[in-house]
Amino acid sequence: MNTDRPNPGGGSTAARGGPPRSASQGTLREVWDGIVVVWWRFFDWLAVVSWKKLLLVSLLGLILTAMLSSVGSSGHRVSEAPKWFFLLIVTSVIIKVVAGGKRRAEVTANEATKQAETEQLERTVLEARMEALQAQIEPHFLFNTLASIDQLIQTDPPRASKMQQSLIRYLRSAMPQMREGRRPTLGQQVNLCSAFLEIMAVRMEGRLQTVMSVPEGLKSAVFPSMMLQTLVENAIKHGLEPQPEGGKLEISAEVADGQLAVHVLDTGVGFMPTAEAGVGLANVRERLQALYKGRAELIITVPPAGGTCATIKVPYEIVPAPADPTTV
Amino acid sequence: MAASFASAAPSAVVADDERLMREQIIDRLKEAWPELLIVGEASNGREAIAMVQSLHPDIVFLDISMPGMDGIETARALAGRAHVVFVTAHDQYAISAFEHGAIDYLLKPAEPERVALTCQRLRERLKQAPDPMSEVLEQLSQRLGAGDLKRREYMRWVQASVGANIRMIPTSEILFFRAEDKYTLVKTRTFEALIRKPIKELIEELDPDEFWQIHRSTVVRVDAVEQVSRDFRGHQIVHVRGSDEKLEVSRTFNHLFKQM
Repeated sequence: MNTDRPNPGGGSTAARGGPPRSASQGTLREVWDGIVVVWWRFFDWLAVVSWKKLLLVSLLGLILTAMLSSVGSSGHRVSEAPKWFFLLIVTSVIIKVVAGGKRRAEVTANEATKQAETEQLERTVLEARMEALQAQIEPHFLFNTLASIDQLIQTDPPRASKMQQSLIRYLRSAMPQMREGRRPTLGQQVNLCSAFLEIMAVRMEGRLQTVMSVPEGLKSAVFPSMMLQTLVENAIKHGLEPQPEGGKLEISAEVADGQLAVHVLDTGVGFMPTAEAGVGLANVRERLQALYKGRAELIITVPPAGGTCATIKVPYEIVPAPADPTTV
Repeated sequence: MAASFASAAPSAVVADDERLMREQIIDRLKEAWPELLIVGEASNGREAIAMVQSLHPDIVFLDISMPGMDGIETARALAGRAHVVFVTAHDQYAISAFEHGAIDYLLKPAEPERVALTCQRLRERLKQAPDPMSEVLEQLSQRLGAGDLKRREYMRWVQASVGANIRMIPTSEILFFRAEDKYTLVKTRTFEALIRKPIKELIEELDPDEFWQIHRSTVVRVDAVEQVSRDFRGHQIVHVRGSDEKLEVSRTFNHLFKQM
């Protein structure tokens, strides 16, 4: 709003410092500042107000001043007020015609910018909160994995070491404080999931087979953090673990029509129509909405062969080469 | 069966869906209680029950989270046929329930001292017949959320054919359903599909707090109603948020949108 005019704060003279002025000079300046503020307010109002309303207000004002002046004057001389008011109306109309359009555009543009900024901020906060929610590492997973490592240390130390390395790799990318300041890529998300799957494959043994078919070229594409992980965890927890013989999990990706589609396919028990829509999936949906506004979606399908296929589609975008090599 | 408790070496079955975890429990038990015979290893609840029925062990070690039938359900089904010790990696609620009840539990990874304590307690308990523990198990299953199963289940997903695939649409995404000839149109913010299930059946399966029928052929998501206006004939018209569709409310359902 305050692009080209004095700060409507009014008594800013004192704050500006400088040599102390005489009292009358100070008051004069304050009165002047006051007039300037009132004038700009009036100008803004003039610019935005509709012609109909301006006409109505003018008419009302004219009648009111006429009435007041006839009551106030005791017959000796007719007040000049209505005349002055009429002059003000004429000036207003001229100002509105000449400069009103530009000012109105400025005012509305300012308001729109402000609203857009607020909305953007709200979206960012919402997304940050939801990401934090989604990024939680499940304690059950962590403790079970540590227990498995503990057992392997005694029975198969080389495998224990491998599993521990997978866990470290997983924690490195899953811990929220380790991810700050980066634009997450599909490659990072796939690495995180493969570390998770390596751990689960040791724990579930023959019951879990994994296939990774994400083309190398797509690994630098932008992809929101922890979403793929949620799909993979869901596929294991609700698809493969409940199936005593286990099954296969496949992660694949492709680009079509400028959209990057990432699929998580499992051959598990499949979806029950009454199954509570998981908090995880709802969270992914909301985050996609907050991040991409309708340009991204989560789709769940049942492939002809059974099981479940979850797909996330986001606009295809490559991470720009970093200016500072330490940030990536 | 009662005779076996007193006689000879005590026996146990260990149930866990992860082999490594079964191995671990068995290794620790061997150290803490060399006389205990491990007669069977089960990888899920059903196998554990079958083994208890055929092998009559004195003790069952049950992992709480197992595929299909979990540890709590399995213990319920065993109802006093064997002494139960639960095994869990992490479950705050469950642990606090154990601490108040008569049930013993082991945390993974099992520490040798803790296993020794459990074995000590088991030796004492073996002198008595196993407790069916139905009350404690009931509490436990409620704490773990299994109690929700008794609540009526509403449809949470709608299956719609898209090409060769069946697409699962969460009901939370659906704005409205409308009957169209032999099919029902399902409309979301980004997507529409036809399904075969008629409105009459849908309304039976949908959560009445989430979806309202406003016409013989229309069911709308309550959250998606932006406003209700009247047309020139005085009929109520529902405006759907995130869509420019307008849906007519028939007289029968006028009461839904009475003024407050």
